[in-house]
Amino acid sequence: MKSLETVLQEWEAVIGLEVHTELTTLNSKMFCSCKVEYGAPPNTHVCPVCLGMPGTLPVPNRAAIESIVLAGLATGCAIEKHSMFYRKHYFYPDMAKNFQTTQGPVAFCMRGGLDLEVLGASAGERAHLEGTTPLAPEEGYRTRIGITRIHLEEDAGKLVHVGGESGRIAGADYSLVDYNRCGTPLMELVTEPDLRTPEEARLFLQKLRTIYLTLAISNCSMEQGSLRCDGNVSLRPRGSEKLGTKTELKNMNSFKNLHDGLAFEICRQAGILEEGGRVIQETRHWEPASRRTISMRSKETVDDYRLFPDPDLTPYHLSDEFIARVGARLPELPDARVGRYVAECALSPADARALADDIDLARFFDAALATVPGETVPADEIRTEAVPTDEAHAQAEIKGVAPDSPAMGSTTAAELAKPLANLLLNEVNAYLNAEQVALAQTRLEPQHLAELARLIADGTISSKQGREVLALVFAKGISPGELVEELGIKQVSDTGQIETVAHTVLSNNADKVAEYRAGKTGLLGFFVGEAIKATGGTANPKLLNQTFQRLLN
Amino acid sequence: MTLSPAEYVSLSLGDIRTGLDRRHFSARELAEAAFATIEVLEEDRVDAFLSLTPELALRAADEVDAQLAAGSSAAEIGLLAGVPLGFKDNMNLLGSFTTCGSRMLENYRSTLSATCVSKALAAGALPVGKLNLDEFAFGSSTETSAFKKTRNPWDLERVPGGSSGGSAAAVAAGMLAASLGSDTGGSIRQPASFCGVVGFKPSYGVVSRSGVVAFGSSLDQVGPFARSVADAAAVADAICGYDPLDCTSQDVPRNFSASARAGQTEGIKGMRVGVVAEYLEAPGITPEVVSAFKGALRRVENLGATVVELELPNAHAALSAYYVIGPCEAFSNLSRFDAVRYGFCVEGATNLTEQYEQSRAQGFGLETKRRILLGNYLLSSGVYTTYYYPAQQVRTLITQDYHRAFEQADVLLTPTSPRTAFRFGEVSEPTSMHLSDIFTIPINIAGNGGLNLPVGLGEESGLPIGLQIIGPQFKDTNILRVAAALEATYDIERLAPQSRELREQHGVAHGGASSSVSNGVPNGSTLTCGASADGNSSDGAAA
Repeated sequence: MKSLETVLQEWEAVIGLEVHTELTTLNSKMFCSCKVEYGAPPNTHVCPVCLGMPGTLPVPNRAAIESIVLAGLATGCAIEKHSMFYRKHYFYPDMAKNFQTTQGPVAFCMRGGLDLEVLGASAGERAHLEGTTPLAPEEGYRTRIGITRIHLEEDAGKLVHVGGESGRIAGADYSLVDYNRCGTPLMELVTEPDLRTPEEARLFLQKLRTIYLTLAISNCSMEQGSLRCDGNVSLRPRGSEKLGTKTELKNMNSFKNLHDGLAFEICRQAGILEEGGRVIQETRHWEPASRRTISMRSKETVDDYRLFPDPDLTPYHLSDEFIARVGARLPELPDARVGRYVAECALSPADARALADDIDLARFFDAALATVPGETVPADEIRTEAVPTDEAHAQAEIKGVAPDSPAMGSTTAAELAKPLANLLLNEVNAYLNAEQVALAQTRLEPQHLAELARLIADGTISSKQGREVLALVFAKGISPGELVEELGIKQVSDTGQIETVAHTVLSNNADKVAEYRAGKTGLLGFFVGEAIKATGGTANPKLLNQTFQRLLN
Repeated sequence: MTLSPAEYVSLSLGDIRTGLDRRHFSARELAEAAFATIEVLEEDRVDAFLSLTPELALRAADEVDAQLAAGSSAAEIGLLAGVPLGFKDNMNLLGSFTTCGSRMLENYRSTLSATCVSKALAAGALPVGKLNLDEFAFGSSTETSAFKKTRNPWDLERVPGGSSGGSAAAVAAGMLAASLGSDTGGSIRQPASFCGVVGFKPSYGVVSRSGVVAFGSSLDQVGPFARSVADAAAVADAICGYDPLDCTSQDVPRNFSASARAGQTEGIKGMRVGVVAEYLEAPGITPEVVSAFKGALRRVENLGATVVELELPNAHAALSAYYVIGPCEAFSNLSRFDAVRYGFCVEGATNLTEQYEQSRAQGFGLETKRRILLGNYLLSSGVYTTYYYPAQQVRTLITQDYHRAFEQADVLLTPTSPRTAFRFGEVSEPTSMHLSDIFTIPINIAGNGGLNLPVGLGEESGLPIGLQIIGPQFKDTNILRVAAALEATYDIERLAPQSRELREQHGVAHGGASSSVSNGVPNGSTLTCGASADGNSSDGAAA
């Protein structure tokens, strides 16, 4: 099979996504007051309504409608004031009523879209950039992905097939049904077929997830199935307008699986087409373990769901006031956040994007910055707790001896932003990846990280020491200032001490001093390094630099 | 003292209230009398009940008695304090089976109580049992019930009408003072007409549908059967109102009884009563029905109301729309009966599809399968736009027809059914059966309320004939006002002949301990031999 890169040179992949999101942050199901909870013992969150017992009627969840309106507003959709629920019929034991209550031709949210910035290596998958806005050379491109609609429906229950092969219903000895999930409010977002590479699909889903998380309407866990994504993909020769036959791809339950499943399917279809074959319209299942897609069922005939308006649910007429009220709840969205980080925090666009795209990091970043007063203040006033006398003295000393160092003595939120972002994107992220934990699960507090950033920014400790302190904060959950005190790993910034060390280094390396003076100025780094070594890594490199320059010139 | 069936059979709600307050009998005695009466009249005679719930009834009775003993009056306890009440067996009642007259649900125990049931019980009603119906309410004769034939108490060879046949027959026979039924295309009004009792279907949404097994969700409406307008109004007052469990339910003022009283005390002078002339030439309408209808019109005029001729240009399409919308909704609503969680399940199915197919094939009766198949077809892609969609458009036109008509009239009068009760098996063609509902179906399509008022016995058949009184949507009070006023002009026995015999055998001349006519409504306590026939001939004489 050809590589994706080769295939996409000659073929254009046309990809559309269907994204199902459970509104897990709601207190109750779509049409009854049962709790929405993942992992509860089977059939403990059920009632006559979600079990479809005879005579029961659905009562729509108002908060779910608010959630989908939020989602629509955040993704540029028009909010349809007049819409209805429909019944979609099919017999399966995970559907208690044998019809799913969903929306018809008009959904609550219609005709939206998201701008996707495809940067760096991600941009490389796209061979042809027509229809996109190229960004600065080598940087990537921007492309708009249309959203057809977002509608509200109810989730089905879960089936467990016992016995037989492959855990499928065919051949199973018996099947068990858990109706806990049955009736969970579910949003289905359908994109236009605007995606052209698996990477774009992955980035779109990531961006959507960040938006939903920002709105706090779902926990968006692909692992638990609260965020599920199916892909429709077809190929056409480059330059052709006519759409090819599509396949629907399921079971892509991670961002990597979404990318890899689509990539495989594109290559599979190219193989068939290049051999003169015909792609069969069908649903295929991505098997990550064997890295292939397998046919689930043929879709040559269209399913007839006998959709008709649900007579138990009156049509909706959302008022302007309702929409405005929901709109007023819209938080700052990831794109706006990027703008703010660049404009107000002077972060690079790449760092700003990286932070904003990770809702946990972004919230942590904002919380840490919030602990720093906006105006320039003496660093020691940041502390909220009583400062030990000798530390206060040390601070005073630093200020006294290095009055010209702008990084010392006081730091503003804007000044701390960059070191904070660096800590989060590098050190904190590395820790989270290594430990496989979420930020919220660690003992790191926003004010701790702000304090650490300040300690580094004002030269109290070095970046290297900062890493060590951070590891200890994660382990002990105590403040960096206390740790620095406790461990005595403060950076030496006393000009007297620095000068003594510098003199020693220079007198021990008279030959190098001569070379330097002869014009080999690159040796400055060597002297600084020797001095740091001599102080066991505690000397302030910046001060050493200044001191050696003064002494040598 | 005990209450004998002879005394019990013709008790009105007013009699029960007075009797309890004056300690002529207790609620427990009322419950016991109900079961004693049922024992005499039910088995191999009327066969109205699918199940009896004596434990529930006696427990409820004891509660009422305890409240009476504590000093509450019956009226303070609730509108239905001590009233033995029966429920159509598509209404969930905790502690009972709810079969819908189907093998599919033969052993189905309710997991909840319908809101209308809960409200009736909260008003002090005694739940006596569950009443027979056409399977899932599909039918007009109660013959499609999987379990038994209910007989018309006026002539045991004849059907009670349907689908709420059991509810109508039990009241006509005097086994109950009142009962609840449901009406999707006439299922309260038509059996009320056949059995000679009052049957009231309020406007769609007035009574919650929650807990009532759905047939046609946009058409179904719950309502009472009783032997007088006042009693029907009292039951309606007890069960109506907005229900958070049914988002199609409406908040309506609870003033049906007050409207009925207004009809008696203030009359209907100056009210405008609409009629549609061509209805009297409807297919299959019998001369005796036309005659009784004309008689009722003369009485209305005599009461000072103005009769105005109205046009409902699209009403002729109501049946067609009904037989599209009804089966579509029924197909969908009945999908849940799949033998997976409850209900009839075949043994020995080797896979899921087989279990679905065989269980549904054996669990459902013929008429049910006919409607499921029809709905399944009508909603399939391609067909949907030919039938379902136009049917909804027709529905809008018909609704507009009624809306316009009620700009010129306060109520509309039609016969309830073109004919009187037929013999078992006499009408076997489904389409002929559907014709017995031609006057009632358009009202469900439009969502208005309608009431059957008995207006005498047929000159030919000697069987009860009913007048349908229709009101503007959500102005069902107009209906009750006209019904009560018109009712007062008739001297008609509401109790079926055999129950009258029972009463006479025991030498009781008047129903109940209280001989007073509650609320001034003739409640059938005055027995005049051939009164109904006289009523009709007097109408004829006035012609």
